[in-house]
Amino acid sequence: MSETAEVIGTEEEKAAAAEAGAGEENKSADTHADDTAISESESSAEDVLVREGDIAGDYLERLLDLLDYDGDIDLDVEAGRAIVSIDGGDDLEKLVGPRGTVLEALQELTRLAVQQETGSRSRLMLDVAGWRAGRREELRRIGRTAAENVAKSGEKEKLQPMSPFERKVVHDAVAEVDGVTSESEGEEPKRRVVVVPE
Amino acid sequence: MSFLADSLEHLVRGIVDNPDDVRVDLVSSRRGRTLEVHVHPDDLGKVIGRSGRTATSLRTVMNSVGGKGIRVDVIDTDR
Repeated sequence: MSETAEVIGTEEEKAAAAEAGAGEENKSADTHADDTAISESESSAEDVLVREGDIAGDYLERLLDLLDYDGDIDLDVEAGRAIVSIDGGDDLEKLVGPRGTVLEALQELTRLAVQQETGSRSRLMLDVAGWRAGRREELRRIGRTAAENVAKSGEKEKLQPMSPFERKVVHDAVAEVDGVTSESEGEEPKRRVVVVPE
Repeated sequence: MSFLADSLEHLVRGIVDNPDDVRVDLVSSRRGRTLEVHVHPDDLGKVIGRSGRTATSLRTVMNSVGGKGIRVDVIDTDR
């Protein structure tokens, strides 16, 4: 009985293997087709982001001209989004503003200008005078310190209200510390990160 | 001071369907300086944005480069 079963089993396995083989062949054909499709869509996605950067660069360059501000515009594509950075003179501080509020507003307008040309929503990131880079480091410190405090005390800690970008950086920093987790509470623009013991 | 009107005009032109219809006037009165934004009626929604978000962004930028107290008014040309 068991032998028969084994034979049957083997037959079944063979059949399954054959099917799987056929399936795999199909699959590999599909995969191949997909690969081509993916690389094509990837390169066109990259093209879209490069174009986003170009439109944003033109929009901001003209603004700097009209304001008579010194600034060099650098375009990049990183992690699936266009990055536009402006670096230059002291005037640029005015385009950052207190706690980056003017930078957020200018980023919003730049995204709209890109959308106006391309017809689709843009997630481009604008940085001015390295503010985001500097602020990111500061936020990482804030997140790490709060997480370590909460891990020690076991009591939750509310942080200052922050923009979505800022909260994201803090959440990421908290996630690197064991025994704590973080969530956001409240409504924009007063939404804030709360660090809680796990 | 016309660089303020020119800058705002540029910012608005980039985000509307009818850029040629955009005009910004700098008006001074006893109440202070106001940048009056005139756009095609079809573009009003775009300049104001959802919950006034775009108009707020325009004000934030213009207040920063033009000094506090400068007002930005979006004018409905139909009126």
